[in-house]
Amino acid sequence: MIPITLTVNGQLREGSVEGRVTLADFLRERLGLTGTHLGCEHGVCGACTVLLDGEPARSCLVLAVQAQDKEVTTVEGLSGSEPLSALQRAMRDNFSFQCGFCTPGFLIQAWALLKENPRPTEEEVRHALSGNLCRCTGYQSIVAGVLAASTRAPLESQQEGSL
Amino acid sequence: MIAGRPPAERYTGSSVRRTEDLRLLTGRGRYVADIQVPGLLHCAFNRSPHAHARVLRVQTDVARRAPGVVAVFDGWQMAKLASAAGGMMELMGETNLPSFSLLATDKVRLVGDPVAMVVAETRAIAEDAAELIEVEYEELPAVMTAAQARDGSLPPIFEDLGSNVLFGPDQKVFGEVDRVFAEADRIVKARIAQHRHQNVPMEGRAILATFDQATGELVAHAATQGVNTSRQIIAAQLGMPLEKVRVLAFDIGGSFGLKFGASREEVACCAASRELLRPVRWIEDRLENLTVSGQAREESFDVEAAVTNEGEILGMRVEMVIDSGAYPGFAPGIISTIQEMIPGPYRMRALSFTASGVITNKATYVAYRGPWASETFVRERLIDLVAAELGLDPFEVRLRNLAERGQPPLRMVTGPSLAGLTAKESLLRMGEIFNFEEFRRHQAAMRAQGRYLGVGVATYIEPAPGPRPETPPTELEWARASLGEDGVVSVFTAQMPHGQSHQTTMAQIAADQFGVDFEQVRVVVGDTDQVPEGFGTGGSRFASMAGGAALHVSRQLRSQVLELAAQILDVSPATIDIRAGEVVGDGVPDGRLPLSELVKLARAAAAEGRIPQGTETSLEASFGFDGGQGGWSGGTHCCVVEVDPETGRVRVDRYMVVEDCGEVINPAVVEGQIRGGVAQGIGAVLLERSAYDEWGQYLSSSFMDYLLPTTTDVPNIEIEHLQTIPLDQDVNFRGVGEGGMIVAPPTICNAIADAIAPSGAVVLEQHLPPTRILELMGIIPQPA
Repeated sequence: MIPITLTVNGQLREGSVEGRVTLADFLRERLGLTGTHLGCEHGVCGACTVLLDGEPARSCLVLAVQAQDKEVTTVEGLSGSEPLSALQRAMRDNFSFQCGFCTPGFLIQAWALLKENPRPTEEEVRHALSGNLCRCTGYQSIVAGVLAASTRAPLESQQEGSL
Repeated sequence: MIAGRPPAERYTGSSVRRTEDLRLLTGRGRYVADIQVPGLLHCAFNRSPHAHARVLRVQTDVARRAPGVVAVFDGWQMAKLASAAGGMMELMGETNLPSFSLLATDKVRLVGDPVAMVVAETRAIAEDAAELIEVEYEELPAVMTAAQARDGSLPPIFEDLGSNVLFGPDQKVFGEVDRVFAEADRIVKARIAQHRHQNVPMEGRAILATFDQATGELVAHAATQGVNTSRQIIAAQLGMPLEKVRVLAFDIGGSFGLKFGASREEVACCAASRELLRPVRWIEDRLENLTVSGQAREESFDVEAAVTNEGEILGMRVEMVIDSGAYPGFAPGIISTIQEMIPGPYRMRALSFTASGVITNKATYVAYRGPWASETFVRERLIDLVAAELGLDPFEVRLRNLAERGQPPLRMVTGPSLAGLTAKESLLRMGEIFNFEEFRRHQAAMRAQGRYLGVGVATYIEPAPGPRPETPPTELEWARASLGEDGVVSVFTAQMPHGQSHQTTMAQIAADQFGVDFEQVRVVVGDTDQVPEGFGTGGSRFASMAGGAALHVSRQLRSQVLELAAQILDVSPATIDIRAGEVVGDGVPDGRLPLSELVKLARAAAAEGRIPQGTETSLEASFGFDGGQGGWSGGTHCCVVEVDPETGRVRVDRYMVVEDCGEVINPAVVEGQIRGGVAQGIGAVLLERSAYDEWGQYLSSSFMDYLLPTTTDVPNIEIEHLQTIPLDQDVNFRGVGEGGMIVAPPTICNAIADAIAPSGAVVLEQHLPPTRILELMGIIPQPA
């Protein structure tokens, strides 16, 4: 067992894990953060995407020990103390999702996009989300949600401190 | 004010935001994998590497001794705990069923067939130990094609069936087939193939079973489209009385027809919990999901159309072969719908339909969104072939053949009424939205520049539920409603939403009908202890059947509550009403009485015996809905594609939908269903195929091999709703979940066929990935 220390959604977390435990399993099973979903466990579907030091990463392809000293943000950390962040509200207003299983990955990926590019074009949104699979929606509602979020207040002022 | 009449509808028909989203957008959904219980064990399966083999020996000792392993079950041990008899197909009334077991005993019948099950303290330990099991096999030749299954040269996959032919050929004739073929100017013939592909929900199958020794009750948290159906199968296969099995379902990560009943692995998981007296969970991984969860739609059709030179389609002869895969599945059950629906909204006068089914060493045939969809694919592709043969425009051929509402024939040649049909309006409207003439000019200009553009159209109807048949359905859809002391109206349904937003849409209906705010309705799903009987969500059943049940039960409860309120307040029911969660009207103290107060007064009055006999005091109502007058869903889709002759890649440039799904409950939800279905259709044509090699090895077992459409494959989809023709006095909501997936594949294939027609290509199949396009265009050689 290997001791690890990392920051998750702003809180310092410690644990000890087998070397083979993925970050996704660590978050879900040790920390009870089950919002991060496992859709393929081979890095394609993107449902398990989290922010790792601010960059989107597939938590099924990252070992927990690789997150040592890093900052992790999961879907549970996106709204801070609010019920929903502006991004989540925009996604709700646009009926972005259906079954909800791919949702955490899309939210994290969209969050990262809007941080880097607060006013993306539709094509840029589609490009940024092209590595995430959704089987329910046909994506139009997801893209619309991200575009709607981008026209609202910038993410920084929406939820400062939650990242 | 008149009691019993609902207040003006505030919610039904508007895009009320989803109640589901508050939990799903914040990571607080509750899927089976998210449930945490003390002492939970995990299971993993050792699976067959062979498509067809005898199992000679299963060596589990080493796995059993591995640290953290709690138990290992081989097929024989599992057979002592639970049976595979009494499964979904038996429940559906199929009779020609072979005997087999939950885990393989004598034989394996497809790659991935479960052979042994490991239960361990962690999933990782279970998976490691599953690999420590050694199985000795004697390989048998794999039956991989319908031809191999039918020629009888290979050993039967199920010895007790004696043959790999599952049923047929069974012929059914409607109308005077020989006569219309004799009258025809021409006969257009084709062999059209529908390829195997699959549901691929983002969450695989999943179950968490907990047997409670003290009560003798088994509680299963399942990912299922219907808790009652799962319960029946689990109870039957474990040999437990129904009342000792409770099935719960919370959030479900999609299904599209896959998660019906309880699969072999899920029942084995329940059996293990009962045997080990600990909770046991199985979470299907993606490899398992793609390989063995089930696949759909492998069918071939030999079709002939009798046509006149003016493009009138007089009749069809259809011979269909369906590849059912290995274990009993949905294939035999879907034939009658394919047969009934193949004439679609067209006037044809005769049909001969012959079907047979085969067993092969592939994954079991499961229902997938619009399971009968190949009827629409074959008919709509055939219409374009007829148009090509006659030198007519496919749009024009459709227009000449579509039945018209109120004009003969009033029925499809196969029997169902065409009442309320709006197919022709949908096509004509599409002709207004998209300028076909202008496109043809643009297409020709582009062709002159070496570019291949095409447009495709397809029209369909879907029995969701279809106009009321002469013998109304005997299986009612039930809803129960109750008014609680908190003033909340609870509606209980056997529907099991897994993305369709039923908790929102049913609350919209109930709120309007009862007279409360949307927030004051709770829709209860997913608990066999609470929901009424009913098989669950499927067959586009929600909107009309369950929506109708919710409408009627809410009205009934409202009448009961008003009656009771009138008794308590000593006023006439005709003078009071329920509005925004309050009883209002003449004689109501202060003019308004919150429902929660009314419940308290009613309880007190009943206890004191102040309510006269004959007044319903339970504050509960129950209603079984038979579908009312029903009606069709349907419409016309149109898409524009460009094919790149260098790469064979198809780009969908524009996609348009004109549809009629009756009265729309929630437009945003409806449009999400349509777009999602179209996206799956795009996947089916351009990307997705469940591929096997000739030895039965599965070739599409990862997301690198089985490609799903992404944001860059699916265009924005333009949707227009037609004004529906109401057939029922009260309920004109119609199902909409399946239509997109039914009609998108022929729409896209017709567009591609149009685009590449100048190369001489004729499209007789549905799966058109880049290599196939280049083959069809003659740019690369066809395979030998």
